Amino acid sequence: MRHGHVRRWALAAAPVGALLLAGCGIQGTGVVEAGGPASVRVGPDPDFDALLFFRLPDGELTPVVRSFPPANAFPDEYEQTGGPVLPRSPERAVLALLAGPAKEDEAAGLSTSLPRTTTAGGVRVRSAADGRVLVNLPLALGALDATAVRQLICTAAYSKDRDGRVTVLVKGRDGVTATGICGLDLNGEDPGPTPTAVATRGRTAPPGPTP
Amino acid sequence: MSPAPTAGVPAPDGGSPVHDGAEHPEGGGGRRDPGGRRRARWSWAFGLRTRLTLAFLLVAAVSAGTTAALTYREARSALLQTAQDTAVSSFRDEVRQTGFPMPLQAEGIEGVLRDIARKGRPHPWVAFAEYGSIRASSGTSPVSGVITPQLRRAARANPHGSFQRVVKDGVPYLTIAMPTVFPTGPEGVLPTGLVLYAVMRMTDEQINVEALLTAARDGALPGLVVALLPGLLAARSVLRPVRELRRAARSMGSGRLDTRIQVRGGDELADLARTFNESAEQLEHSVRELRQAEARARRFASDVSHELRTPLAGMLAVTEVLDEDAGRLDPDTARAVRLISSETGKLAGLVEDLMEISRFDARAAELNTDELDAAEAVRKTLENRHWTDGRVRTELPEGIRVRLDPRRFDVVVANLVGNALRHGGTPVTVRLRRGTGSDGVPLLVTEVADNGPGIRPEALPHIFDRFYKADAARTRSEGSGLGLAITLENVRLHRGTVRAGNRPEGGAVFTVEIPLHTEGDGR
Repeated sequence: MRHGHVRRWALAAAPVGALLLAGCGIQGTGVVEAGGPASVRVGPDPDFDALLFFRLPDGELTPVVRSFPPANAFPDEYEQTGGPVLPRSPERAVLALLAGPAKEDEAAGLSTSLPRTTTAGGVRVRSAADGRVLVNLPLALGALDATAVRQLICTAAYSKDRDGRVTVLVKGRDGVTATGICGLDLNGEDPGPTPTAVATRGRTAPPGPTP
Repeated sequence: MSPAPTAGVPAPDGGSPVHDGAEHPEGGGGRRDPGGRRRARWSWAFGLRTRLTLAFLLVAAVSAGTTAALTYREARSALLQTAQDTAVSSFRDEVRQTGFPMPLQAEGIEGVLRDIARKGRPHPWVAFAEYGSIRASSGTSPVSGVITPQLRRAARANPHGSFQRVVKDGVPYLTIAMPTVFPTGPEGVLPTGLVLYAVMRMTDEQINVEALLTAARDGALPGLVVALLPGLLAARSVLRPVRELRRAARSMGSGRLDTRIQVRGGDELADLARTFNESAEQLEHSVRELRQAEARARRFASDVSHELRTPLAGMLAVTEVLDEDAGRLDPDTARAVRLISSETGKLAGLVEDLMEISRFDARAAELNTDELDAAEAVRKTLENRHWTDGRVRTELPEGIRVRLDPRRFDVVVANLVGNALRHGGTPVTVRLRRGTGSDGVPLLVTEVADNGPGIRPEALPHIFDRFYKADAARTRSEGSGLGLAITLENVRLHRGTVRAGNRPEGGAVFTVEIPLHTEGDGR
């Protein structure tokens, strides 16, 4: 009986004690989402000429800004005089990507999965009738890994469209092609089944004859 | 009487100590054992008053504690929410107004971070930047030890601002992760790969929260003290009827059967009081009936003996005549006549004794005292009964003057000696001496001892009962069976005592102690 008394009193006092003990001071929390990201200006040139995509140490792709000197080294560069969105220097962008990360990029820990190529020619970027961007490369596509293909697709996409929302078809010297979208755009309307630029690769023709 | 250790010990109800004497006028010895005393004190410690007060305090503590705790929690979360929201949004605003080169350059970024950190709200914070392999901060260490891997993973996995509260070494920190993005065109937005972190000590918040806690506690404790008052009042209102009830029960126990309790209100305690009153009434009724029945029975015995006396007197006269003529009758008839004569005599004695006992029962016995010499009185008694033939020895010191009722003293001595002669063995010794009672009163001690087998121990307590047969085998006693009972009543009338016992050397002894001066007792 005595025990019953004690138990009943303990039962009555328990919630109070628990309530009092539960939250004194400031406790830690889990990760709480709070609003969107911060939109920043990028430098050094806000009107950059091209976005190149390099690899972060964790394997993700990240854009870097490139502005090309105004020296008229390439004959197919033309001014943005009219029309909706004019490609400024798609070939130069792809060539810069192939040239590999610059000194500042490497200082920040960026790298590339592409083989360094310094060839000046052999890169052609043009828009197809169906809206796709066709890229011809002076190197064998079959030897590249998925990250390298994504670097190419993203760089080409943002060189032709400021929002990068175009499908890119890359064709290598070996006749291997890869198709895909960049998919890094945060406001991208169609994440679809391939949100992060799954490049579909296929050998359209046996090695040998080049189309 | 009990040793009365009540001094200084509060009565169970916490009121004034009960004056035991008035309520247990006599014979209280052994009524309270020490164990019960201890139990009473124990039950006082957990008595009704304590329990009621404790219950009140518990309820008050629960409500005050719950209120305080809930208020505290709400206020705390509001406080923290405000601080967090302010910090996150101001961090985002600061970052938004800053330009970053892509790729990030390690040089100069610390200055930018210090700028951001300086403008931190609500408190200055430490800003950290992570980009590729670059780690920089506005503080001394480029990498924070507070930012958790979960926060990093969340900031990398989805481009949202997020925060986490971390307590490290007892200090609470708010850690904010802010991934940065930039517009590529009219619609497109790309993550820059740069994630900024801010770490803010919540010291002020901690102080505020602790102040809240103190306030809640300081609010709850006076609440408890205030709750003590109604608790005590409630305990009082419950305890008063209980106390009355106890007083009434005790009063009834001491014989005042007309005790009643005033019934107030209609609660359970009032019910209890009503029940008590009903029980008391029934008890009083039963006791009255019992007493009346007893009185009727006594009156009947008295009436019967009175009615028997007159015919018996006639019969005695006739049997005396018959006794005288018995010698002339034939032997058989003579034996029958003598038998009738002796039995009639015994019957007359029995009736006399019955009437005597009836007078005692009716409290009609009177004490007619006279001063006399005790030895003289005993000698006269023995002579009158013709017990002078050596069967009775006497040790009668001369000069003991005593004031008592001579007739009754004669009855006492005669009954005791007669009883000893009948049931004990000769010689019977009658001894007189002076004594002193436990209260210092001088006594006359009369001892009547015999040399018989003594009294069986199991018979001792009943030896003075009416018609008690010490020897169960002997159903027919030569005495009336009332002798010792009458002796007892007579001694009591003298305010004395009589006891029966066995001597170590064998034989029974009856000891009568009567105060030397019995006068002035009113009756």
